[in-house]
Amino acid sequence: MGCSSSLPDRNSGRLGGLNAENGGAPDAKNLRVKLVLLGDSGVGKSCIVLRFVRGQFDPTSKVTVGASFLSQTIALQDSTTVKFEIWDTAGQERYAALAPLYYRGAAVAVVVYDITSPESFNKAQYWVKELQKHGSPDIVMALVGNKADLHENREVPVQDGIDYAEKNGMFFIETSAKTADNINQLFEEIAKRLPRPSSS
Amino acid sequence: MENADPFASSTAPLTWHDFLERMRQPSAADFVKAIKSFIVSFSNNAPDPERDSAAVQEFLANMEMAFRAHPLWAGCSEEELESAGEGLEKYVMTKLYTRVFASVPDDSKLDEQLFEKIGLVQQFIRPEQLDIKTTFQNETSWLLAQKELQKINMYKAPRDKLVCILNCCKVINNLLLNASIASNEDPPGADEFLPVLIYVTLKANPPQLHSNLLYILRYRRQSRMVAEAAYFFTNMLSAESFISNINAESLSMDEREFEMNMESARALLSGLSSDLDGVLKEPQQKSLYSTKEKDPSIGSDLSLLSSEATSGAKLEPHAKDQLITKVPSISDLENKGAAMLLKEDQASLAFREYPYLYANVGDLTVNDVEDLLNHYKQLVFKHVCLSKGLGVPAPPLPLSISQTQAQKHAETMKDSADTRAAEVKDNTLNDIGSTNDVSNQVSLFEVETSESKLPQEEAVVPQ
Repeated sequence: MGCSSSLPDRNSGRLGGLNAENGGAPDAKNLRVKLVLLGDSGVGKSCIVLRFVRGQFDPTSKVTVGASFLSQTIALQDSTTVKFEIWDTAGQERYAALAPLYYRGAAVAVVVYDITSPESFNKAQYWVKELQKHGSPDIVMALVGNKADLHENREVPVQDGIDYAEKNGMFFIETSAKTADNINQLFEEIAKRLPRPSSS
Repeated sequence: MENADPFASSTAPLTWHDFLERMRQPSAADFVKAIKSFIVSFSNNAPDPERDSAAVQEFLANMEMAFRAHPLWAGCSEEELESAGEGLEKYVMTKLYTRVFASVPDDSKLDEQLFEKIGLVQQFIRPEQLDIKTTFQNETSWLLAQKELQKINMYKAPRDKLVCILNCCKVINNLLLNASIASNEDPPGADEFLPVLIYVTLKANPPQLHSNLLYILRYRRQSRMVAEAAYFFTNMLSAESFISNINAESLSMDEREFEMNMESARALLSGLSSDLDGVLKEPQQKSLYSTKEKDPSIGSDLSLLSSEATSGAKLEPHAKDQLITKVPSISDLENKGAAMLLKEDQASLAFREYPYLYANVGDLTVNDVEDLLNHYKQLVFKHVCLSKGLGVPAPPLPLSISQTQAQKHAETMKDSADTRAAEVKDNTLNDIGSTNDVSNQVSLFEVETSESKLPQEEAVVPQ
């Protein structure tokens, strides 16, 4: 529960408002990136996104359509910006077959599990295999163990996550959408790993 | 603004108007010529969705580039150019609509299959079967979302159709958000959203859903199918995909239970529709008869009588085949029909075949009496025959003149405005097909502006 608890904002490196929504062709300095979130229902996918995006907004500001699609721009130290367009997917088993419609053309896939739920970790591994088979070959993948604040109930050891991610060439991090731990780091790390257009 | 509504700017009627304004400038003559010849080029070829789509996409892209370089748009902002592109897309696709929408039999067949399947599944589906948590269930308010989706067939431009989908999604998301706040749940994400969208789609069952989605996919300018619009459109595609593959497993139902549900839904529907066939098909035939034969005599009425008697006779054994135990009575059918008409946004169109329905006493001339009497006789025969065919006693038609007059009067007051609006709209759309010279083009543009205002304002959801 509770990505709604409001903690002080840690929005270092965030940009507000700035954007070339209208037609600006993405250039080497300003990337526009489709990111898809995969993972069992209830692991907190949408909470991670909200925690990441909400920082710059005051909480009463309008979420135009909903938390299933949100976008957020971050600035990196080399003065480039990355605009993430974040596509959430339904994690219930009966909708698993629909996922390819969503991850088609995605530059980034974030696979989320809940550290208190071994089933969700199994499900995460299923998604990684799916992406390796059907995703675009140069997709950047991250494995995320969420709900790290619930360490008393932990059932998936950190090492398992690290090992699995390493074997599959993924970036790994444990986060807590509730306390906001590692949320920004997750997205900043992804941004650094994106392939850059060669022109600059 | 980061998460601003991508549709807000181009939804405004002003942008459409602005496009038409510029096209009226003498310096736009070449554009007008190019647009017209592109549209005409379509009438020379048989439908081929892939080629047609590629041609439209390329034409729109090239024209947008030409706009950018043209003095008409000198010093204009990106937004103005963008809305010119939107205007062009709307104009071209409105013209090509009948030529490219559901233009191949395969698409129409899939439309029918999907419509039929949804018609069955919607009879027994429950929110839990799609993993919609009780806290997020709100069937009454979901009607609002269904309404938005059902508007999709009222529009011709790809963007306008897409906006119907986006508005439907918006309504769902607002409801989910409110429910999450009320119940102190986490804000809703795709886990909550997609199941509700599927449920709403099942309940709305918009005709030709498959063709509508393909049409948007093919003819919405690809460069504008990005971000939020692309995301929610993908959800709609995935809802369609889920629905067309629905089976016992995907609803976590027992195989036999699923089949039984489908079977009884089928029985219910075919029972109703075979009865309705009798009711609905005949009037169409009749209106053909009466327009063909200038002077319908009693004789032709009798031939109608016999044809209906046979169709009535056919009805009964057919109805017996059905699994349902109770044949719906005429008044059941009447009520069902009335409910269906109420739901339709263009219900008044259904009555256009009946010229006297909205007439006032003062409008009628002596010459109309014969016509009216013939209409009346036909109706009585039909009514009695249908009743006979269904095996129920014919309830008498209301006869009291003053009563019917009063009723008619009230109806006229209420509905004539509707009918007129519908007629005006219809004429306008017909006009779109026939333009040959530039002066015509200008007046055409004017008519279309007024036509386009109505639905567009409706489509904008206030922020």
